[in-house]
Amino acid sequence: MIFPWNKKKESANIARDRLRIAIMTDKTDENLPFLADLKKDIIEVVKKYTEVRDIDIKKESDGEFEALSIDVHLG
Amino acid sequence: MGMIIAIISGKGGVGKTTATANIGLGIALNNRRCVVVDFDIGQRNLDMILGLENRVVYDMIQVMDNEASLRQALIKSKVSDNLYFLAASQTKDKSALESSKIKQLIENLSNEFEYVILDAPAGIESGYEHTIEFADSAIVVVNPEVSSIRDSDRAIGILDSKSQKVKDGFDVDKYLIINRIIPEMVESGEMLSSDDILEILNIKLLGKVAEDKSVIDASNQGIPIILNSKSIAGSAYQRIADRLCGDNVPIEEPKIQNRGFVGKLKGMFS
Repeated sequence: MIFPWNKKKESANIARDRLRIAIMTDKTDENLPFLADLKKDIIEVVKKYTEVRDIDIKKESDGEFEALSIDVHLG
Repeated sequence: MGMIIAIISGKGGVGKTTATANIGLGIALNNRRCVVVDFDIGQRNLDMILGLENRVVYDMIQVMDNEASLRQALIKSKVSDNLYFLAASQTKDKSALESSKIKQLIENLSNEFEYVILDAPAGIESGYEHTIEFADSAIVVVNPEVSSIRDSDRAIGILDSKSQKVKDGFDVDKYLIINRIIPEMVESGEMLSSDDILEILNIKLLGKVAEDKSVIDASNQGIPIILNSKSIAGSAYQRIADRLCGDNVPIEEPKIQNRGFVGKLKGMFS
């Protein structure tokens, strides 16, 4: 039933959603210890052809699919 | 061989040492021989919660270095003949811990006791890793609060990759205690529910302990809260200890205490 005194803050839902994302991110960082090396190698390869400013590697998951997304910022 | 249980949390200040003291005493009150070991080198605290700080002569580092025998260092509880306590060193630092010596100590303890309970230090550094190294199982203590839950997930991750049992190809059993639940806040949606926490951490539930002011009073006096069987936290810890001794005790949901007349009315209409 909806009464004015039942107006809830419900910040627990915010906490739950933030935690899910934070823990997923923590696990991704843990699972990809090779990330720094991979980044270095890609920079080396791209550098042969053009200038590179930075590289961004992210693991993305969508249900059962996992992908590495690599952004190359050209210099 | 006794069961070796590490009590872990990741974050400090969630009630890990209180849990260790009360679970240990609760097991002893079930007539099982139990030893609790403080692995928080340099920040000894379990002695205070157990009310045994004046009896500490030798610590576990001295036992590991053969400067004292186990028999000399073990301190018997004032309230149960089945509970013994081994103190952390207050003067040495964490680097004093060595895997081979810890393994020997734990082996010796598990030959004498049915339950060997290790109180891990906060954090996920070397002291923590040494505590979980030879554990059969772990009890994770969390508060219904974001930083505690996130840190405990990290601690569980390290347990799953660095414990000897996992390296040998087995699983380490993991059990969750949700401590300091404030039922009013869970009801109003301002505190994470037990179901939310279980879904996020995905381990077995061992017990729920509501926030209870008498825990402070108990630690002030060095009398573990479990001895106050009328207290909310004390009875929750006794049920947890009974479960660890194999009793089939159902999990109780913490209830809202002493709700006033208006609160009761609101409860009826919400």
